[in-house]
Amino acid sequence: MVSGRRTGARGNIGGSPVVTRRRFAALGAAGLAGVGLAARALPGLAGTAGDEGGDAAANVRPRIASLDWALAETLVALGSPPVAVPDKRGYSEWVVEPPLPASTADLGSRFTPNIELLAALAPDLVVAIPYQGPLLPVVERVAPTLTLSIYEPDGRPFERACEVATRLAAAAARPAAATALVARAEAAFAAARARIAHLPRRPVLVVSLVDPHHAWVYGAGSLFAAVIERLGLANAWHGETNSWGFSAVGLEGLAAADPDARLVLLEPVPPDVAARLATNPLWQRLPFVRGGEAAIRLPVVVFGGLPSAIRFSDLLSARLAEAPA
Amino acid sequence: MTALKLSAAPTRGGLAVVAGILVLAGFAGLGLASAGFSTHLPADLWLKAALAPDDADVRQILVHYSLLPRLATAVLAGAALGLAGALLQQVLANPLASPTTLGIEAGARLALAVATLWAPGPLGFGREAVALAGGGAALAVVLLLSMRGGLRPVAVLLAGLLVGLYAGSAAAVLTLLNEQWLVSLFVWGGGSLAQQDWAVVATLAPRLAFAAVAAALLVRPLALLGLGEAAAKGLGLPVAAVRLACLALAVALSTTVVSLVGVIAFVGLVAPALAGLMGARSVGSRLLAAPAVGAGLLVATDLVVQQISGAYGELLPTGAVTALFGAPALVVLVARRGLAEAPARGEPGLAAAAAWPWRRVAFIVAILTAVLALALLVGRDAEGWRISLGEGLADALPWRWPRTIAALAAGAMLAAAGIVLQRLTGNPMAAPEMVGVSAGAAGGMVAAFLFLPEVGRLVPLAAAAAGALLALLLVVAVAGRGRLPPDRMLLAGIALGALADAVVAVLMAEGDPKAMALFAWSTGSTYRVDAPAALVTAGAAMMLVAAAPFAGRWLAILPLGGDPARALGVPVGPARLLLLVLTALLTAAATLVVGPISFVGLMAPHLARGLGLVRPAAELAGAVTIGAAVMVAADWLGRIVVFPFEIPAGLAATLIGGPWLVALLARRPR
Repeated sequence: MVSGRRTGARGNIGGSPVVTRRRFAALGAAGLAGVGLAARALPGLAGTAGDEGGDAAANVRPRIASLDWALAETLVALGSPPVAVPDKRGYSEWVVEPPLPASTADLGSRFTPNIELLAALAPDLVVAIPYQGPLLPVVERVAPTLTLSIYEPDGRPFERACEVATRLAAAAARPAAATALVARAEAAFAAARARIAHLPRRPVLVVSLVDPHHAWVYGAGSLFAAVIERLGLANAWHGETNSWGFSAVGLEGLAAADPDARLVLLEPVPPDVAARLATNPLWQRLPFVRGGEAAIRLPVVVFGGLPSAIRFSDLLSARLAEAPA
Repeated sequence: MTALKLSAAPTRGGLAVVAGILVLAGFAGLGLASAGFSTHLPADLWLKAALAPDDADVRQILVHYSLLPRLATAVLAGAALGLAGALLQQVLANPLASPTTLGIEAGARLALAVATLWAPGPLGFGREAVALAGGGAALAVVLLLSMRGGLRPVAVLLAGLLVGLYAGSAAAVLTLLNEQWLVSLFVWGGGSLAQQDWAVVATLAPRLAFAAVAAALLVRPLALLGLGEAAAKGLGLPVAAVRLACLALAVALSTTVVSLVGVIAFVGLVAPALAGLMGARSVGSRLLAAPAVGAGLLVATDLVVQQISGAYGELLPTGAVTALFGAPALVVLVARRGLAEAPARGEPGLAAAAAWPWRRVAFIVAILTAVLALALLVGRDAEGWRISLGEGLADALPWRWPRTIAALAAGAMLAAAGIVLQRLTGNPMAAPEMVGVSAGAAGGMVAAFLFLPEVGRLVPLAAAAAGALLALLLVVAVAGRGRLPPDRMLLAGIALGALADAVVAVLMAEGDPKAMALFAWSTGSTYRVDAPAALVTAGAAMMLVAAAPFAGRWLAILPLGGDPARALGVPVGPARLLLLVLTALLTAAATLVVGPISFVGLMAPHLARGLGLVRPAAELAGAVTIGAAVMVAADWLGRIVVFPFEIPAGLAATLIGGPWLVALLARRPR
């Protein structure tokens, strides 16, 4: 289940809680096992599954609340925007696109979504991700709950994102929409490949800045890595990653990346960080910064779903193509 | 006190200094070797990298801008904290004082978090001023709170740890309301020493040099002060000025470190203690040896941290790691020190007894009823405020009543626990959060998140209950042997709590979203309470709170201290054990609902006494009702004020009650 790439390098630190936790985490990858059960518990799904697009079907389409942004953006892309998401303002700042309709309610925190509000909305289904497990006894009092997972220790987020889209489309009684979304993703990758075909192949280094001295850098097991691979590019980060596909490092750690990398910074960058990078001598001397080439800044959410993968592919290829090589 | 007496043998002090420097050198050498610095760069390039690195060679860049400044930062920060700790211990004549245990670091951290979120953008030099204000305010509150205890070491420490907890939970609220920037706050809060230039070194070095000069000038006055206040005054020493200068210096040193690298917990406590163990007795030698040991300690810790986190592996904040060894060290220090048992100090609280105490209790009950009505009837939805009646109430009530009842029961239990504990220890600053049971519950939850792949539905609750039970057994075992005076056990409880916090901080900095869920859950919330849980909590509250009045006589006599109580025929040992068990049970049942920190148990007894409810029975009835009302109000406000977000009831109670309590204690005549 867990590949050697992820644990092998650290096997010697026997007592480290991190390693132990990860080892245990490998045992629990049964993320999607419960899906079938919950879907069956949904009233009226079986009858509507075939009538994609009909008015009668629209009336009986289940109203879905999402407790997670990746699931929410997937629902929007499938044409069934959620009736409620947590932290709607945060969604508009971090996920940006696809936008939520004004009718979608704001549930507050992802860790304690407002339950009275959720109950008042009376959704037919609530979708959540595994680490929200402790919420389920509460949320299930409102509506049946479906737990879907994109990020697992086996590090195949793109495949899972497609699978999640399929499950969500089935739950939303729009099965054809998932096929269309996956096809849209493939088309987006093909277009992106064509857009950058004439450019020299430089590895891509995807980084989000945590504070003036630390960063998350995305490697094997991240959705970004999966997209980069599909664009025919190489990932410049070879460090070992956690089950979400990133390594947390001090900025000095970035020196381990491929020196000819093209740097991609995920937005938003924390308030005071950008200014301080300009005067950070180590940052200024990193091989991929020193040349004076401006970083590509992309507003794409980390831990996103299929729409985020499409968005990353579109934006990255466009920016690579416009930048002087 | 005795440990701080002036040594008549300066040669021993000199030896200690030499030993301290040797330790520093040893640590550094060992660390250098084990970290295998030579793997970063061939030995012959080191000098070049240190002085004039070649921009084209990444290895030299790393040595010049990362490894070396990090090492220098560790030395300077460790020395600054060691010096701050030694100064505090000296001036307060308190071997357990330190920037961590007096809440200075937590206060600075909270102030910086508020400033960062309020006024995003580079704070520049403002950072230091903000941190200084926060740390200074924290220390002032601590001293204010413990003034009435005559600045007795244990009392000062309890107040300090309490203020630290308070600042920590206020920071937790900020974090919960800013989920997206959570990781940034935690990486910095955890105290990471990662450096990419010499800026921190350039800022810290001159300040430390200035502090060293100031400390040198303070050696003689402090030595005189060590002879006792009266003697020092007789010799013409401006005692108040010396104390103030000393405190200001210590606060400035520790808050500068916080503003530059974050909270490096416990180094300021452990370093002077180690210096003392190595034989530094005189003021001068302590002020010299403690910084040396602190520097060595932090360098060694940081080198180990860099090794563990792999050259470029996960982020492990060094400050959180120092807490991992510092918290147990506090327990050891507390157990070792030969502090005398708490002296008899009479009834906690000096307010005059009210003529008609039960009328006042009835008044409080009326307030509780009003708060209950608010909590059940008034809510918010997407459109705005709403008073639910009829059908609307029928819809909302199933969600509102379980958490309201659970909050009520938890508040009542914590208040009862607070009363029992304060009378048991004769210490008005005792709070049930300190029994160790809360820390056990938090620890259980941390362990569950840490070692289980998927956190199921009931796992957090079960794990917290198991942790609380384990801690309870431990408390009973220790108390049963009668070795440790009760207020010393409170310190152990807090230290365990700091340990649990450190583990969470390490996980958080790694950025695992599961850890953020853990953080949210460990703050405790009535969110999860359903009808059966509410009824069970209410049942436990009724049984346990009803048990307290039966101990009325013990509760009236025990505050007088062990010997007078024995003389009055109280079986002191068994009585203390039984009351401690009762407190632990009350705290455990409440913690599972409202989380590890609420301060209701500390606050409610004070409010009750402030109302003139002084005799045990009236005090108990009043405090229990006040505790229930505060917690119900906190739960209600927590889900109303930042709608649709929520503030956990325990944290809301802390935020409401903390300033109120300080105001109350400050106003009361001494």
